[in-house]
Amino acid sequence: MSALASWRLALRLARRDAMRHRGRSVLVLVMIALPVLAVTAADVVIATQEVSGVESLDRRLGAADALVEVPAGGAPMLQAFDPYDGSTSADGVPADHEPPAAAEVSDVLGGVRLLERRQGDVYLRTDDGVAYVWATEVDLRDPLTRGLFDLGSGRWPADSSEVVVNREVRDQGYAVGDRLDLVGDDAPAPIVVGIAESTTSRTMPVVAGPIGSLGIEPSEWSGPAWLAAGGDVSWAEVEELNALGATALSRAVLADPPPDSEAPEEIRAWSSGTDDAMVAAIVLIVVMALLEVVLLAGPAFAVTARRQARTLALMASAGGTPAQSRRAIIGGGVVLGTVAALLGVALGIGAGRLLVPVVQHWSGEWFGPFDVPWLHLLGIALFGLVSAVLASVVPAWIASRQDVVAVLSGRRADTRPSLRSPILGVVLIGVGVAGSAYGATSGSSGEFAIAASAVVAVLGMILLVPVVVAGVARLAGRLPLSPRYAARDAARHRTRTVPAVAAVAATVAGVVALGIAVTSDEAENEGTYQAMLPMGDGAVTAYDLTPPQWRDLHGAVAAKVPDADVVLVDGLVESTSMAEPDARSYYLETRAPGVPRHQPLLSMMATTFGSSVLVDDDMPEIVRGVSDAGRRRGDAALAEGRVVVFTDRPVDADRVVLRPSWSTMDDSGNLPRATVPATYVPIDRSEASASLVIPPAVIDRLDLPHAPVALAVSGGRITPEQEEAVTEAVQAVTNDGGFYVERGYQADDETVIVQLVLAGLGGVLMLGGTLTATFLALSDARPDLATLSAVGASPRRRRWIAASYALVIGVVGAVLGAAVGFIPGIAVTYPLTRGWDPEVEAHYLDVPWLMILGVVVALPLVTAALVALFARSRLPLVARVD
Amino acid sequence: MSAVLRMAEVTRVHGEGATEVHALRSVSFAAHPGELVAVMGPSGSGKSTLLTLAGGLDGPTSGVVSVEGVDLAGVGAAGRARMRRTSIGYVFQDFNLIPALTAVENVALPLELDGVRSRTARAGARAALEEVGIADLADRFPDHMSGGQQQRVAIARAVVGDRRLILADEPTGALDSETGESILRLLRARCDAGAAGVLVTHEARHAAWADRVVFLRDGVVIDETGADHADALLDAGRIR
Repeated sequence: MSALASWRLALRLARRDAMRHRGRSVLVLVMIALPVLAVTAADVVIATQEVSGVESLDRRLGAADALVEVPAGGAPMLQAFDPYDGSTSADGVPADHEPPAAAEVSDVLGGVRLLERRQGDVYLRTDDGVAYVWATEVDLRDPLTRGLFDLGSGRWPADSSEVVVNREVRDQGYAVGDRLDLVGDDAPAPIVVGIAESTTSRTMPVVAGPIGSLGIEPSEWSGPAWLAAGGDVSWAEVEELNALGATALSRAVLADPPPDSEAPEEIRAWSSGTDDAMVAAIVLIVVMALLEVVLLAGPAFAVTARRQARTLALMASAGGTPAQSRRAIIGGGVVLGTVAALLGVALGIGAGRLLVPVVQHWSGEWFGPFDVPWLHLLGIALFGLVSAVLASVVPAWIASRQDVVAVLSGRRADTRPSLRSPILGVVLIGVGVAGSAYGATSGSSGEFAIAASAVVAVLGMILLVPVVVAGVARLAGRLPLSPRYAARDAARHRTRTVPAVAAVAATVAGVVALGIAVTSDEAENEGTYQAMLPMGDGAVTAYDLTPPQWRDLHGAVAAKVPDADVVLVDGLVESTSMAEPDARSYYLETRAPGVPRHQPLLSMMATTFGSSVLVDDDMPEIVRGVSDAGRRRGDAALAEGRVVVFTDRPVDADRVVLRPSWSTMDDSGNLPRATVPATYVPIDRSEASASLVIPPAVIDRLDLPHAPVALAVSGGRITPEQEEAVTEAVQAVTNDGGFYVERGYQADDETVIVQLVLAGLGGVLMLGGTLTATFLALSDARPDLATLSAVGASPRRRRWIAASYALVIGVVGAVLGAAVGFIPGIAVTYPLTRGWDPEVEAHYLDVPWLMILGVVVALPLVTAALVALFARSRLPLVARVD
Repeated sequence: MSAVLRMAEVTRVHGEGATEVHALRSVSFAAHPGELVAVMGPSGSGKSTLLTLAGGLDGPTSGVVSVEGVDLAGVGAAGRARMRRTSIGYVFQDFNLIPALTAVENVALPLELDGVRSRTARAGARAALEEVGIADLADRFPDHMSGGQQQRVAIARAVVGDRRLILADEPTGALDSETGESILRLLRARCDAGAAGVLVTHEARHAAWADRVVFLRDGVVIDETGADHADALLDAGRIR
């Protein structure tokens, strides 16, 4: 018989067997089809959400054939076929190259018509302040722009005094007929004549009108751009434009790209640089998922193989080869895997279709047309098929080597476990431990080494499961009947039990490892938390309040917290409100003579009081982390008109270099530098809330503006009610203010949520693994249950046995998994909590014992209880061989 | 002497309408202490049905089955299960030992299921194994025993806890003749010690061990013979 014919026979037998044992087949189908479905749905949604090059052409080009841009002031360019995938100015060319004019561009393209388009952002005054709006200037009545915007109501702008806005802008207080209130001295004030949606962005505020309507000027790094009409733009023409200093997005090039080798080498090097770590992470995830699916589906194939044991033994006694026996079982994997994969993909596409509108609701960009990435789906379907085949391989292998005589004489036990695999298991776990230790101690890619070792350790653990199951059975002699029976029977049917236990163990290992990582990360957050103020103290900060407003606020706050000291803090104006785009904010760079520039005087500081430069005649009480001696030195220095500079490194100097600079929303400049007498006062960097204190006379002499920047509230413990009252008082004066109260470290809800999600996921997978194995075991145990019934077991006994089964599988799996999970879990805390400062030896380890206890003890108990609840309490009758 | 097992006008019908099968029709039958009754008949004659009804694993369509004076229909499923733990012992053709349990655990099963403490149950089971002559195999698993040894374990399980009704369904069917004889000798000895035994067999030579032989065909008792058959006939006539 040829191999093909023998496969055909095996597949036919498998198909009939699958039809005959529907329950078991459905079990396998669900185990494999569910993950395939989930991944397919996710893939379809992602593919739909991604607007690929060709799909995006209409929304980027409108009806034009190309979009030509001058991005770098006219320097010759290199670009990918789609310039948004990568473009750069060519090296070694002087940047004083003249940017190409429209006529030059048109000439290159054979004299085509060009329509100018400008883009940029503008600031718009709204009911709530100032909003950032994405602006496009282009003649929207030109048919070339069809597809860039969808007009909802009103009409397109006719001249540069008219614009259209989208719903987002409309919702901020502008209606058709209103005049836009743009921020800027000589900004235009166009009238809204229509509501139009961008075809790209769904939620961003957008405004569009003809050139000049919004006042966008081409700048050095965002030069002019044109939509070109008049036929296909070839890659050769694109390269010609590149030489002129322009990039081009050509419809023809994207629709039918030239060979990759045509793209400039520099650009290719970018795009082909796939992220190794990313690929490795994906491979790891796929391997773990495959492992889990294989383990979950494995027991069903083990039972199939056992049910066919007699048939296979008869085949063998009639001259069948082991290969034929194997095929008979693997055939089942092929049949069920194929059906599950097709079913999963089909249902997944449907689920994806239903999910697209839901996901679109949460996304700021318009999705492309519904997209089914067939090549991906082929891979996902193959994953399903491969997992089914892999799940059937071990049972098939064991079936092909079964003791024909033993099977025909009706003995049912598995063969003795080999010693080789547990030894290999121990070795693999050893490798896992070593790899984790390496990952914990090595630098950058530690997490990856640990994740890879975790997979190795889990594989090793799987090889140990048979030994552990056998050991549990040996220890079960003293247990009551049901658990004793369950433990022994589990050990006797290892091919069925081991994958189920391993599936539970692998899940628990993952849950425990991630749990330790998350909890330790949280411990690090708590351990490195830096209080900005003494516990219970507070600070009010706000921008752009006038001194009288500050005084009013001072009175209001003092009234809300009567038993606290409220002090007005004076400082350099370092930040301004968005509502005043032209207001200047200042920055003061400090340097000690003789200290290199890359060594900051203060390595860490929190700006608690609205400014890092405080202005005062005395050392402000609110500055913490300074010794009494330092405070006295500081007071003395300020009295002498010296500047106090806080530092956390030894500085031997009596002057400081001050380099002030200023900036507004779109401009900046430097002010003359000054060297002034200074006293350096050591400060504990973890408590530093200011970098220097300048006497008012000195800062006035430097001509730097200072103003009240904050209110310090200290001395009385601020209650949550007071906190709310003060916050309201601040909000009554300004939107741009806040009240911070030091409450110490506040645990993040997220950690608890992540732990719950982990435990939930673990619970679902554990339930899946346990239920499969338990109900397969029950169907396998029919004769035993019948015997039990005959010797007087009450019907309830079946429930007890079922629950004991679940308990044995759950507990053994959970304990093993937890033990193995500790390896990567502990290891990963090293790179995770190392901290940013390589000089500081930091490590935090916090084991979430409650969660682990829940997973190892409570989950198996709950699973067992569920099984007991849902198991049928009816014992089968002995079927007599007549 | 009152009968341990008494069946009166017992009928069992499987299925309905066109697929209706009469497994037993108005069978009346009794087994007394110290008596081994052989039930013979061709395949499908209702032998097995008779045993499942006698053990309370199945209920009659009509008629009464009582064991030690208790009507099995009147005690509910739990009661019948309790009867099987304390009064009725089964021996099957293919032994039906539980492979996950050792010999002594298999024998102790009825006691353990009845709530007897594990230690006591095992002591009782060891005594029962001693009686059937395989006390030294107590801690072996069934897979590591010969057929004859397994059937001895099964008999020990059927008699442990002084149960007075032993129902044996072709107990020698899977054994060679010599081993089979020794098993029957054991059953006989057990009955001589005061139990009532019902032995389903199709071999006349085994029926020789019995005090009486009941012939079944198509669910009807067609003949009865035996050493003290006059008494048996009397007994069978005296239905209640």
